[in-house]
Amino acid sequence: MSRCGRTAHLEAVALGEASPTLAAELRAHTKSCALCRHELNWLESESALFRQRAGRDEVAQLWKGVASRSGLETPPRDWPRVLVAMAAAAALVLMVGNAAPRASRSADGSPGDETLESSMLMTPAFFVEEESCSKLPSGVGFQCSPVVPASFLASR
Amino acid sequence: MLRLLQRTPAITPETPDGALVQRAQKGESAAFKALFERHVVGVRRFLRDLLRQGDLADDATQETFARAHAQLAKLTDYDRFKPWVLGIARNVAFEARRVRQHDVLEDDDDSTPTAVIPSPDPERVLLDAELEKHFTEAMGTLSGNRRAALLMRLDHGLAYEEIAAAFGWSIPTVKNEIHRARLKLRAQLLPHLTGERT
Ligand SMILES: [Zn+2]
Repeated sequence: MSRCGRTAHLEAVALGEASPTLAAELRAHTKSCALCRHELNWLESESALFRQRAGRDEVAQLWKGVASRSGLETPPRDWPRVLVAMAAAAALVLMVGNAAPRASRSADGSPGDETLESSMLMTPAFFVEEESCSKLPSGVGFQCSPVVPASFLASR
Repeated sequence: MLRLLQRTPAITPETPDGALVQRAQKGESAAFKALFERHVVGVRRFLRDLLRQGDLADDATQETFARAHAQLAKLTDYDRFKPWVLGIARNVAFEARRVRQHDVLEDDDDSTPTAVIPSPDPERVLLDAELEKHFTEAMGTLSGNRRAALLMRLDHGLAYEEIAAAFGWSIPTVKNEIHRARLKLRAQLLPHLTGERT
C-alpha cells in the first residue's frame, strides 16, 4: 500500500485543530488522494461517534462528595473576619427589611429584589457568581444557589 | 471595606482555567467549584470509560476532584488543569481496578490489521443504542492505558504532548498507542457502520 505524506496532518482537520487554510488545502487534496480520503472519512466518523456520545452525558450530583472529602463545605479559612462580621450585620439589615410590609421573597426562598435594592450588599463584587449552573448540560445535579455567600445565609 | 470586597473578580464562563487554578490555590473555594463544574462531565465520562461501571465512576470522580483539591498547590502549569485532572483520574481508575500501570503496554494485542479497511461515510454515522453497545464493547477490548490515551485524544481533545506528560511516555509512544487503538477500534466497528465507502 502506498503512503501519502499528508495523511498524518488529517487528524488536525478532523478534530478542528487545523487552520482554515490548511484544512481547505487538505480537503481539496482528499478529492484526488484515495488514501487521505479514506483516512479522513474514518477520522471524521470517529469524531462523530465521540461527539454524539458526549452530547448525551449526564452526571449525578457529585459536588457534595467532593466538598465533604475536601472540607469545602465551610467558608474559606482565610476569609477576612471583617467580611463575616459584615455579612452578619447585613443579615440584620435584611431581617429588618423582611419584617417590613414591602419585603418580598421569591419562591425559592431567596431574598426578594426589593429588599436587597436598598442594601449596600448590591455591590456587585459581593455576590457570588453562580452562572455556571445554567450552563451545565441537562441532568447535571447542581442546585442553583441564591446569589448570596454561604456564610451570609448561615448567619441568618 | 468595599474596595476589599471588590478585589475578587466575578467568575464567568470566560474566566480561563489558569486564573481559576490560581484563585483556588489561594483558598477560594468558589474557584475550585467552578473548575469542578467545568470539567466534571468529561472526567466522569473518562472514568466510566476506564472503569466500565457507572457507580464506580461516580465515586472515582469524587475521589479524583478531592485529590485534585488536595494536590492543587503542585499544579504550577496553571493552564493545564484538564490534562492534569485527567491524569489524576487515570491513576484513580487504575488503583480502583488494581491495574499496575507499567505492565499495560504489554497486555494489548499488537497485531496490526494489515488489510485495507473500507471507510464509513462520516455524515451517516449515527450512534444509536445498538452502535453504542458495539462501540463500548470495542473500547473494552483495549488495554486500560491504550484506551485512556485514545480517550484523552479523541474524546477530551488533549494534545499528544499533554498525554505524554500525563503518562510519562514519549510522544512517539503516545502516537503509536493511539494509532494502534484506532486501528483496533475501526476493525471492530466497521461491520456496524453504515454507508461504507471504499
Ligand atoms: Zn494524500
